[in-house]
Amino acid sequence: MTESAQKCQEELSALKKEYEDFVYIVSHDIKTPMRAIANIATWIEDDLGPDINIDILNNFSLLKNRVARLENMLNALLELSRINRTEMEEYEVNIPKLVKECMATLDNKTNVKFHENYNLYNENCITLGKKLNKVIFNLLDNAVRFHDKQIKNVFIDISENETEYQIKISDDGPGIAEEVRQKIFSIFYTVNSKDVLDSTGAGLTISSKIVAMVGGAIQYTPSVNNGSIFQINWPKIISVKN
Amino acid sequence: MVAANILIVDNCKIFIENTVNAFSQIGIKSTLCFAENDSKAWSMLHGKNKLLPLPKIMLIDINAEGINGIDLINKIRFDFELKSILIFVVSNIDDVEKKCDALNLNIAGYMHKPSEKGEIVAFFSILNDYWNSIEFSR
Amino acid sequence: MIQKLVNILLVEDDEVDVMNVKRAFTKNNIKNELFVAGNGVEALDMLRSSIIPLPRIIILDINMPKMNGIEFLKIIREDENLKNISVFVMTTSNEDSDKINAYNLNVAGYILKPLSFEKFINSVATLKNFWSLCEM
Repeated sequence: MTESAQKCQEELSALKKEYEDFVYIVSHDIKTPMRAIANIATWIEDDLGPDINIDILNNFSLLKNRVARLENMLNALLELSRINRTEMEEYEVNIPKLVKECMATLDNKTNVKFHENYNLYNENCITLGKKLNKVIFNLLDNAVRFHDKQIKNVFIDISENETEYQIKISDDGPGIAEEVRQKIFSIFYTVNSKDVLDSTGAGLTISSKIVAMVGGAIQYTPSVNNGSIFQINWPKIISVKN
Repeated sequence: MVAANILIVDNCKIFIENTVNAFSQIGIKSTLCFAENDSKAWSMLHGKNKLLPLPKIMLIDINAEGINGIDLINKIRFDFELKSILIFVVSNIDDVEKKCDALNLNIAGYMHKPSEKGEIVAFFSILNDYWNSIEFSR
Repeated sequence: MIQKLVNILLVEDDEVDVMNVKRAFTKNNIKNELFVAGNGVEALDMLRSSIIPLPRIIILDINMPKMNGIEFLKIIREDENLKNISVFVMTTSNEDSDKINAYNLNVAGYILKPLSFEKFINSVATLKNFWSLCEM
């Protein structure tokens, strides 16, 4: 590398670090006043006693719901700023077992049918296990959460070639309209209003940042039945990109 | 809480048996390990046969015959790898001096040792709630 | 034991968080006398000048102006008169480095302040039960 290119590189990493520190400090320091709002709302509600007007009660619950949303957003920002600093251990994982663990931690599995298909020479691999888990969990969670049918089919297909794993997570849900496909990886973007479906809109942002960090790729394509397909290329040998 | 190892230093068979039963009754997922005296405990914390992962929590009967608990805690506190272990001390006799020594070594709590079965379950369910409510380092 | 009602010192700079602890104590019927210091420097003054009776328990925030919780903890652990006080960290910091530093200085517990007051009441209830087992 020439001297000026190296200098550019150094400046870039310094800026990146400054940006991450900024996001971290801001989201951390906002937490204290935010908690105060939530707490004081509870105290006022408590002090008003049992004979409280139903409208006031509703407004209190709206207030607390919105503060909770703010907390989720701040936690997502914190997570995003910490992606390449925490849980960076490489260890051996069994891929089907890791998928099973992700499925087990989903909170709403009623009427969900998982269809798993593995085409692997070796089910075990040494990788950033926590990160892979996070990505697969987020995609499964989205597939289930935004599904609009009575019976929710979710498909997991994992295969490998010499250099990478190809992970395909698809569903027969509503899919994503063409005009908004550009936006789904942006932070806090949700297709529906957050009042219709309470979600933070950070899962795909976090997942795509993880995948970029490990030097892989993630892309969306609509499926033939109008559902969604997320295809991830996860490299076997990880060289962390900062 | 992390399902970490918990090391109990005690040589009373009935207490150990009741503890194992209490853990399964309450549903505590951590792995229980026992050492019958301080030197056995030290060998589980240090050297080539040490427990992996190292325990984050220990419970020591400080007035049991043959257990030099203060010495053990002292060694733990001066070991770089072990000093952060959360140590709970139990005793069934009143020994003000030892209690003072233990508190000076910054144990997490000095507690009367429960003896009866139901008492032991109540004791560990309070401790378990506490362990679940606090954060541990990764 | 808690029946003897040991004194508690709360080291916390945020007024609402102080009120939060007081309310949660009332809700849980905790009657121990509670003293409050706004930061580490103020707490050290209070402990060393016998303005207050020596507490057996300190509840400690980490992010504070002047002297933060970890710095304060380092100092009291080196002070013969103060080193044996039980310290419980109560903070918003979920940073692993803060947890490691606190446990290396032998705190008895590290508690994250939850967003909701209801959850905080539960944390304090758990703490109360634990204190009731301990001989201070």
